[in-house]
Amino acid sequence: MSERELTYGEAVKEAIAEEMRRDPRVFLIGEDVAEAGHPFKTLVGLVQEFGTDRVIDTPISEPGYAGIGVGAAMTGMRPVVDVMFGDFITLTMDQMVNQAAKAHYMSGGKIKVPIVFRTTLGATRRSAAQHSQSLHAWVSHVPGLKVALPSGPYEAKGLMKTAIRDDSPVVIFEDKMMYRVKGPVPEGDYTIPFGVAEVKRAGRDVTIVATSSMVPVSLGAAKLLEDVGISAEVIDPRTTWPLDKQALIDSARKTSRALVVDEGYERYGVTAEIASVIGEGAFYYLDAPVKRMGAMDVPVPFSPVLEDLTVPSEQTVFEAARALCRR
Amino acid sequence: MPANVIMPALELAQETGKLLRWIKAPGDMVRKGEPIAEIETDKVTVELEAPASGILQDVTAQEGDVVPVGHTIAIIADSASPTLSPQGGRSGTLAPQGSGAVPTLSPQGSGAVPTLSPQGRGQGEGPTSDRIKASPLARKVAEAHNVDLAHVRTASGKIEKADVLAYVESRRTVATAGNGGPGTIVAASPKARRFAAERGIDLRALKGSGPEGAVLAMDVPAAAEPTGTGPLTSAPLTSALLTLPSPQRGEGVAAGEGGGIPRRGVEDAASQEKVGTVWRVMAERMAASWTSAPHFFLVREVAVARLGAWLDKARAQTGVRITYTDLLIKLVAAAIVQHPRVAVSWRDGVIERHPDVNVGLAVALEDGLVVPVIHRADTLGLKEIAARREDLVARAQAGKLRPADIQGGVFTISNLGMYGVDAFSAIVNPPQAAILAVGRITDRVIPVDGKPAVQPTMVLTLSCDHRALDGARGARFLGALADLIEEPLTLLV
Repeated sequence: MSERELTYGEAVKEAIAEEMRRDPRVFLIGEDVAEAGHPFKTLVGLVQEFGTDRVIDTPISEPGYAGIGVGAAMTGMRPVVDVMFGDFITLTMDQMVNQAAKAHYMSGGKIKVPIVFRTTLGATRRSAAQHSQSLHAWVSHVPGLKVALPSGPYEAKGLMKTAIRDDSPVVIFEDKMMYRVKGPVPEGDYTIPFGVAEVKRAGRDVTIVATSSMVPVSLGAAKLLEDVGISAEVIDPRTTWPLDKQALIDSARKTSRALVVDEGYERYGVTAEIASVIGEGAFYYLDAPVKRMGAMDVPVPFSPVLEDLTVPSEQTVFEAARALCRR
Repeated sequence: MPANVIMPALELAQETGKLLRWIKAPGDMVRKGEPIAEIETDKVTVELEAPASGILQDVTAQEGDVVPVGHTIAIIADSASPTLSPQGGRSGTLAPQGSGAVPTLSPQGSGAVPTLSPQGRGQGEGPTSDRIKASPLARKVAEAHNVDLAHVRTASGKIEKADVLAYVESRRTVATAGNGGPGTIVAASPKARRFAAERGIDLRALKGSGPEGAVLAMDVPAAAEPTGTGPLTSAPLTSALLTLPSPQRGEGVAAGEGGGIPRRGVEDAASQEKVGTVWRVMAERMAASWTSAPHFFLVREVAVARLGAWLDKARAQTGVRITYTDLLIKLVAAAIVQHPRVAVSWRDGVIERHPDVNVGLAVALEDGLVVPVIHRADTLGLKEIAARREDLVARAQAGKLRPADIQGGVFTISNLGMYGVDAFSAIVNPPQAAILAVGRITDRVIPVDGKPAVQPTMVLTLSCDHRALDGARGARFLGALADLIEEPLTLLV
C-alpha cells in the first residue's frame, strides 16, 4: 500500500480531477472555482487542465447555478456544484429539496439527477454566524438526497468519487477546518461505499459515534479516556443518509453506552436522529441514556473565545464519555 | 419507614409463589435477615428473610395463598414510626408542585433538603459512603432501605436518620407521581432491567449505584461478572417477548416470558396449583425447549467393564458408597474440560460460553423434576462428588433445595438406568445446549476381536440444541466421554 500523504483539500481535488478525466460528463460549476481555484484553494489547477468549459465560474447566484446543475444532471451530465459555505445551501433549497430530490420519483424513474452538491461545514474559523454553520441535518432530513461527511483525507477522496458516480443527488459536506490536515491517501482509483460505517477505533466501555470534524476530536478524547482506564469505541457513519444503523446499534449493544458527537446544532440534529436509532435498536442493552453532543444552540459567535466554546472539544467529549461510564 | 415484604422471584419462569407458612406472626418484632416465612417458589422451598428490622404487620397473604411475584405480602414497620400502608396517601401531600418540575420535597423540620443528585461533570468520583458524614443510625436506616448515602444531600452536610427517611419518601413520591399508579417504579437502566428479568431478580431488592440511585447492570448480581458466568437457570429474554402482549398462561411460550416482572391475571392460579409449581415449571421449560431449540441426538454404546472395576476400586479406597452416577459426573466434567465448546448457550443470536464446569443432575421427584447442580465438578474428587450428590438428592426429595443449588448448570445428566431403560432421548434443559441421557448397564453381545462376546455396556444419548452445537462438535464430545468411560484410568494418568 502506498504511504503517500495528501491534505484533505488535495484529496478532494484529486477525486474530482480523476473523475473528470474518467468521465467527460463530469463538470464543475460555482463561485470562484476556476481562476481563483476556490477561496479555500482546493481546486487550484483544475481550470488549467480541463478548461473553462468544464470548470465554470459563476456570478454570486447560488439559486441560479444550482438550478443549472440540476437541469444539466436531468439531461445527462454529472455536475459537481460548488456551494462555498454550507450556510449558503439555504439559497439552494428549492433546487436541492423540491427539484433534485424529487425528479426521479415524480417521473416514475424516467429522470435521474446525478448531481453532487459540494459544500462545507465547521466552526472555529472566525467566520462568524453566517459562515460557520454545519447544516447537514437539513438535507439529511429529505428523502431523495444522500449526504456524505468525509472525516479525513482518505474519506474525502473516496466519498467524493462515490458521490460523483452515484445516480442520485448527493450533498457532500467537507470540514473547512480540515483542508490542511494530512493523511494517507492511496494513489489511483478507489471508492468508499455509502451507508457503511467505519469503526475508527475499537473499544469496550463506551461507543462514541462521531461525524466529520468530530471524528478526530473523538479519537483524541478516546486517548484521554484510555489514560483513565476507559476503552472507547469510535465509529464514523461516513454518510448520514444512507445510515448504517446496524453498525451503530451493534456497537452500542456491545458497550452498553453511547455518546453521539456531531458539529451541527444539537437540537433537532444529527445527534438526535442517531441517538434515537441507538435507543430503539439497543434499548435493552443500554446501561445509561444515550448522550448527545452537538454545537451549542446559538448563532456561532464571532468572538474566538466564545466560538470555541460552542463546539465539542476533546476535553468536553472526554468528560461526557467519562461521566457516562460513571468513572 | 416501613419496608415492604414482597413475594420474591427466584426463577425466571416463576410468576407466582405460594406462601407455605408464616414463621413470624403479625406484631412480632423481627430482625433484618431473620426468616419470617416459608415460600414455595418454582422448584424450591425457601425461607423468606426479613428485608428490614421492625414489627411485622399488615399481613395480606395467608398460608396456602398463591401470590404473584413482586406483590407485597406484609409490611415491616419501624417500631418508632406510625403504620403506613404500601399505597399510603402520604404521597399525595408530597406531590410535586407545578408540572414538569423536578419533584422536590419540602423540608420537614429536619433542615434537610433531599435533592436528586446531579448527573454529569464533576460527579465522576462521588464520595463513597465511608467518607460521608452520617450518624450510625442513619447508616443503619439507609442500609435497611437500600439507600446509597452518597445520594442523600443535607444542608449541614451531616446525615441523620430523618434525612434518609425523607430521601426514601422523596424517591417514592417521584416514582408514584411519575407513574400515576400506586406501585413504586424502580429507577433502573434498560440493561439492568433485562438482566434482572433474565435472572429472576426483583429490582427492588437491589441497591442502585447510578444517578438518583438507579440500578445499573453492574448492580444486578452475576451481571457484573464477565459474560458467561451468570446463573443459567434463566432462559434468554428476547425483545420480541418484551414487546408482544403477554400471551395466555399455559400457551407454552419461551421460558423467558414473565421474569421478575409482577404479573396480573392469576385468576386461574387455582387450577394451576393442582399440578404443583415444580411440575408446571417443568412443563413450561420443556415445552419452550422442545419448540424453540432444534434438537438432534447422538447415540453411542460404550463398554463399561473397566468402569465397573474402577467403581469397585474407588469404593474400596474411599469407603464411601460411590455410584455410577458419581463416576459419570466426574467423567462428564473431564470431557467438558477437554471440549468446553459444549458448555454454551444460544442467546440472542450469539453463542455464550460458560467457563465453569457446573454439572446438573436430573432428579425425579413425586411432583416433577429438578436439576440440582454440582458446581465446578471438574475440581472435585469422587468422594466430594458423592457427598455433594447425596446431599443434593436428599434435599431435593425433601423439598429443601436452595436457589444456589439449582443455579449455574452448564450441562445436565439424566440417568434412567435404574428404571431398566436401555436408552432414551432427553430434552435439552435451557439455556444449556446439551443433555446426556444415560441408559441401564446390562450385559449385551458385542464384537470382541471379531467374535461375539457378552459384556456389560451402556447406551449414551447426547441431545443437542442445534443453534449452539453441531453434529461434529457433539460427536467429538461424546467420543471423548466414551473414551474416558472405556478407559477411565486415562483420567488418572
